[in-house]
Parts: sequence; C-alpha cells; structure tokens
Amino acid sequence: MRGACQPAGRRITHPLPVSPVALQLSEVTKTYGAFTAVDRLCLTVPTGCVYGFLGPNGAGKTTTLRMILEIIRPTTGTITVLGSPSALAVRSRLGYLPEEKGLYKKMRAWAVIAYFATLKGLSQAAAKRRAYELLERYGLKDFADARTEALSKGMGQKVQVLAAVAHDPEFVILDEPFSGLDPVNQTVMEEIITDLRARGRTVIFSTHVMAHAERLCDRLVLIARGRKLFDGTPDEARRTLPRRVRLTTDSNVAPLQDLPGVAGLASLPEGVWELQLHDQADPQAILRACFDQQIRLRSFSAEEPTLHDVFVKLVGPEATEARFR
Amino acid sequence: MRYALLIAWREFAETVKTRGFWLSICLFPAIIVLAVQIPLLIEKKGLPTRHYVLVDRTGELAPVIRAALATSEQRRVEAALRAFARTAPYQEPFAYYLSSNRVLDLPQWQATQGTNWSQVRGFVPPRPRFVEVDPPVQSAATAGLDVVAEALRPWLRGEQKVATETGAAPLFAAVLIPADLPAQAAVPASHRGANGPVGLQYWSDNLADTALLDLIEGTVNAELRRRAYAERGLDSALVRALEETRAPVTSLNPKKAVGEEQVGGADRLRQWLPSAFVYLLWVAIFTIAQMLLTSVIEEKSNRIIEVLLSSVTPGELMVGKLMGIAAAGLTMLATWIGALVLVLAWQSLGLTSAPAAATGPLARLPLEVAEILQTTWLLPAFGLYFVLGYLLYAGLIIALGSTCNTLKEAQSFMGVIVVLLMVPLFTMTFIPRDPNGPLATALSWFPPYTPFVMMNRVTADPPLRDVVGTLILLIAFTGLVLWGAGRIFRIGVLRTGQPPKLVELLRWLRRP
Repeated sequence: MRGACQPAGRRITHPLPVSPVALQLSEVTKTYGAFTAVDRLCLTVPTGCVYGFLGPNGAGKTTTLRMILEIIRPTTGTITVLGSPSALAVRSRLGYLPEEKGLYKKMRAWAVIAYFATLKGLSQAAAKRRAYELLERYGLKDFADARTEALSKGMGQKVQVLAAVAHDPEFVILDEPFSGLDPVNQTVMEEIITDLRARGRTVIFSTHVMAHAERLCDRLVLIARGRKLFDGTPDEARRTLPRRVRLTTDSNVAPLQDLPGVAGLASLPEGVWELQLHDQADPQAILRACFDQQIRLRSFSAEEPTLHDVFVKLVGPEATEARFR
Repeated sequence: MRYALLIAWREFAETVKTRGFWLSICLFPAIIVLAVQIPLLIEKKGLPTRHYVLVDRTGELAPVIRAALATSEQRRVEAALRAFARTAPYQEPFAYYLSSNRVLDLPQWQATQGTNWSQVRGFVPPRPRFVEVDPPVQSAATAGLDVVAEALRPWLRGEQKVATETGAAPLFAAVLIPADLPAQAAVPASHRGANGPVGLQYWSDNLADTALLDLIEGTVNAELRRRAYAERGLDSALVRALEETRAPVTSLNPKKAVGEEQVGGADRLRQWLPSAFVYLLWVAIFTIAQMLLTSVIEEKSNRIIEVLLSSVTPGELMVGKLMGIAAAGLTMLATWIGALVLVLAWQSLGLTSAPAAATGPLARLPLEVAEILQTTWLLPAFGLYFVLGYLLYAGLIIALGSTCNTLKEAQSFMGVIVVLLMVPLFTMTFIPRDPNGPLATALSWFPPYTPFVMMNRVTADPPLRDVVGTLILLIAFTGLVLWGAGRIFRIGVLRTGQPPKLVELLRWLRRP
C-alpha cells in the first residue's frame, strides 16, 4: 500500500532544497460576514504526497485552495506554502487549476499554455517549447495550433491542466480536475497526476468522485461545513467503518445475528443481507456459521468499506447530493 | 513589474490580432472620408437628368425660362470646372480664371480665349440637370391646358416614357403656362384667395426635388418684375444693380499684431481644428475603453482570473491590462495621426511645386493644417490629454468590468459612462465660439471633461491658471480613480453572482 509519501527511487528533478512539508495550515478560518466558510482548519501536506480534498459541495474546499494560493486571505490563522508565508513569493513553484475552467477563446492552445508558463517565470522560448512538448505527450499534438474555442470541453480542460503544470511546479493544486471529463480523459487526467507523483511533486486535488481518490491519493482530508472530519490515509479512512459481509439467501438469517463479531444485520432488497462486523471479526467464521446453520447461499462476499461509505457516514445527509454527481 | 509587462504584452498582442481592432483603425478615417465624399458624389452622380415638358401659351415666357435654365446649367459646369482645377494638374489658361474669385462668364471666356472647357484635359462636365422634351401629345399645341394636362397624365404617372436623345426616359414634370399669366400676377401674391386663378401649373409626382419648380418660378417672377419696372419707366438693370448694394465687412482679431489683424481662413481653422482633435480623442478613448471592458469581462466570465491571480497580484494584473490596452490604443492613434501627417505632407509637396496663384483656398488647407500643427501645442496637448483621459476612463471601466460577470451586465452600467461621455461631444461644437467663456471654464474644472474641453481650448490661449489648475486637478482625480479602481478590482474580479450595490462598493474601498 502507498502510505509513505516519498518512497525510495523516485527521481526528484527540482534543484531547490526540498523541505519535508509542502504545506502547513494552522487554525485557518475564513468568514464572510456571519457565514463561516472554513473553520479552524489544520492540515499538513508532506512533500511528494498526493493529497485528496474530499467533501460535499459548499464544504469549503475551493475556499481553502484559494487561501493556500493567496488569491484570498484567511480571516485568521496562518498558511505556509513551500516554507513561505506567502504563496505569491513562491508562485513560480506552484501550479493551479481552478474549479471553473476557462481559456482565452481566441488564443491558440500552445499560446495559452506558454503564456501561463511565462507568468510563472519561464522564458518565452522555453515556454513555447514546453507547450508543444506537453501537448504532444498528452495526445493534443494536432490541436496545438487550434484556437481554444474550437476545442471540445474535455480537450480544453486538458489544455488548462497542462497550462497549470507547464512550468514543472513542485506543488500542484487541482480543484475538481475530473469534473466534466469523459472516462478516457479521466484516465489521461489520472495519468498526469501519476506522472507528477512519479517525479516527486506534491499534488492536492479536490474531488467528489471517490473512485479517483481511492486510486490516486496517498492521503486524504474530508471536509464538511468548513470543518475537517477526517485526515489520514485511505486505509485509515476505511478502518473508521466496520467491515461488512454481504450474502444472498432465501433462508432465515436471524441466527447469524448472535455470532461473535457481528455488530448488526440489515436487509437489502432481493434477498440480500448485510452484516456489519467488528474490527477483529473474521468473515471466514461467518461463512462457516452459514454452513453450520444450513443457510443456502446464492452469493457470499466479504467487503472492505469503500471511501464512498466513509464519506456517506462522516458527512451524513449532505453526501446524498454528492453521490449523484 | 515583469509580470505586469507580460500581461500587457499578451493584452496588446491579442487585441492587435483581432479583426475588430483593424476594422476600427480603418473605419474612423473611412467614415471621415465618406462624410466628405458622399454628398459630393451624390451631387455629381446621384441626381439623374430630368426631362420636362414646357407648354407656354403666352409665347413670351418660354425663351426666358430656357435662357435661365441654360445659365444655371452653365454655372454647374463652371463649379465642376473650379473643383477640377483645385485638384487637377496646373493648366494654362484656365487656372487664372479659376483661381480668381469673379464669376466666370463662360461664353465670353470661350470667345476671348478661343477655346472652351471641353478642351480642358481630364475634365468631364457634369450631366445636364434638366432637359426639355417635346410634348408627347398632339393636343399640346392648340388645346386648352386642362386637356393637355389630362392627356399628359400617363406620362407624368410614369406609365409611359418620352423619347429623348439618350433613349426613352420617364417624364419628370410638365410646366403649363396659361396665356393670361401676366394678368393673373398680383402684388403681393398673398392677395390671391383660395378661389383665385391657378396660374402656372407645375405637374410632377416628385415632391422632393423642387429645383426645377424653384428655378422656373424665380425666373418667371423676375421676368414679370422686369416688365413691371419697364411699364413704370424704371431701368430694370439699374434696379438690379442697386439691389446688389453691400456694406463692406472685415473680421479683425485684437490679439494679433498691428497690420495682421485681418481674420483669414487659417485663423478660423485654428479655432476649429481643436474640435477635430477633441472628436479624435473621444473616439479613441471610447473605443479603447470598450476593448478594456471586453477583455476584463472575458477573463472574469471564463474564470481565467483565478489562474492569473495564482501567478500575479491583482495590482500587477490591473496595471498590465491598462498598459496593454493603452499600447493598442496608441497604435490605433499613431496610425490615424501618422496617416493624417502623411496625407498632409504628400498634399503640401504637390502644392508647393505649383505657382501660388494656382492654389485655391481649399487646396491650401493641408498647408495650413500642417502649419497649425507645427506652431501650436495641439499635438503635445493631445498626447497628454489622451494619456490622462484614457487612464481616468480606463480606471472607471476596469472597476466596473471587475464587478460584472457578463458583457450584458456590464453594458447597462456602461450606459452611465456613455451618457457622461456624451457631454463633451455636444459641447465640442460651441466651445470654440467662446473658448474662454464661463461654460468652457466651468466644464474644464470637472475632471472627467478636462481632457476634452481643455483640448478644445488649446489654441485659444486659455489663462495659465486654467491650464495648470485643471491639469493638477485632473492628475489628482485620475490618481484617485485608479486607486479606487485597484481596490474594487481586487475584490470584484473574484466575486460571482449579482453585481454589488453602491454601498458595497464603498465598503470595498475602505477594506484594507
């Protein structure tokens, strides 16, 4: 499993001294009048880590990311990015993809990427070279000279992501990078993040889609109503929920309820039953008990809780909204 | 600063690349050229030759009318010839006659010079305006006028065409003069009641082009008056000569040196030329302000602004945009002024090689404009007021644009600025009449109008107090606007949803 954020053998290409902590938030609060968007948030993002920001809509994810980038200032609390109290001081080492995507309509794809790269300190020539290089690597070579208004939404979004990473930043912040992408482009997006990780870059991305978080994150933080509900590795997240066994049968399952290690029994439609287990319980023992009790099984599966389950449990009713996204 | 320059460069390059930019560069001079040329063109080509029928039962008036029409035709040829002489290469002996201000007697000229205008190289005389045709009906010679008019109806309604030298053509008008017309004439004409005689009948379905009617009416009246003078034993030539009595009038400017007080064309030009520059200033500022608004709204509605703000501060972004669009604007202005200077230089070059006598007053215009531009503060003042005026309005626009999400939202606010900007456009024409009067002075001290009004007054030697005072006020006000714009911009660009209320804007100004 991926727990550590800097496994051996990763190539660190950036020449600058690497501090072990890429980002530190302490007691960060942002209020708009009476409304508290972010409430005393503390967070430490280790260097080289892919960190997932999870939470329902309006949880304060985007506000937090904007504060990290110093686009807006926190009401109270301090933020340290790459060892600096000001993101603008280290702006050339940061990359950012905002939640709402847009490009200059009349500019050509390569020019947009190159322009944002020059704003991050690259020379015009280097920026242009880099733009073509990236467009070729991620399958947009034929569209390099197209105006961005002629690109499909997915292509435009890819261009924007490439613009965010064109200057090879140490620390990349992606706000909802997967939204609006088709499955093929979602894979490309995952590839971009995986590439960044492989080169030792730190990545924060926010998402609603738990599958992406599950596949990509080294660590994740779950936020709702501006508060941190969970912060840790995906495994740790899953361990917050009891494991479950699902079985399909027409027999009476009531005796299973009294087994040691079974915390609860719930009926799902079409003869499916779900057993919640205590941490130390063994699904094998349940299966054995089924045979002993002569319960005729049509199916039996021991399931690890998914991040989605964690999300639903921790966030509660608010998550309903997110599930339909 | 490096980041502001990068933003400015993109802003400039992207603006200059658009088709709209080059359209506006070409459009402004094109409009000016067209505004001058179209009336001339209509005069030259637009009005077709009109064919008319003249039936005269008096037997005396027709020759007089024909002679008057011929003279009028001659004058048109003469005017065309004069216009031709102003621009055409110098030719003897016409130039002498054409440059003199006396009325040209074409037949006499043709007789004395042994030549005629048709031999002037390159000159195409205008088409005749009115041509008489024979009545297409037999009854015309003898029948009563009512019968003739009735018979002519199909032609007058355009149902039938008359035969002319150039082929079949519609009949424009019929002029029917009853035999007793001289007897019907009354002094004054208004004594004639509703039941009075019809008199001269002018039949035409074209109510707009009254040139023929005016000419004939004038001629007939003049002829009848001439006869009336003769009956009373007055010399009609003498009467006409006496009617030409004029008291001499000379315009003098007290500010000029003794002996040079006489006001010439150049002096009038000097007074009016600033208005042209005010208009140029206005068009430039207005066009560029629009570009700026579009650019701010694009970044805001596309949410590109967030990416930008992760790389640059709002201040750098605003300064970059102001500089970039200003550069585009200056390119536009430089093109316009450059074109003007080139045209002036080219025209002057052509003129200086010809004898001074050959150049008419209009032909000397380029030389005079060039001289005024060289000897007055017009151009430097234009540069200064453009920069300050641009910054002032750009500040307003950028603050406004940053609070709106779509161009549509912004347009309604733009309306206020447009109304504000209309005032100097209206005052532009009457400020030169009283350049240092109370209205001009008052408007000068209102910073949003200072660039336009002071530009308007620049050649009228405004008091130093006005020049320096309004300039200081303008600079201070522009600084204030830019400061406020910076404050509003920084918060406005990140805001989505409804545009803020005025109270909210004021709060933004105070926020640290």
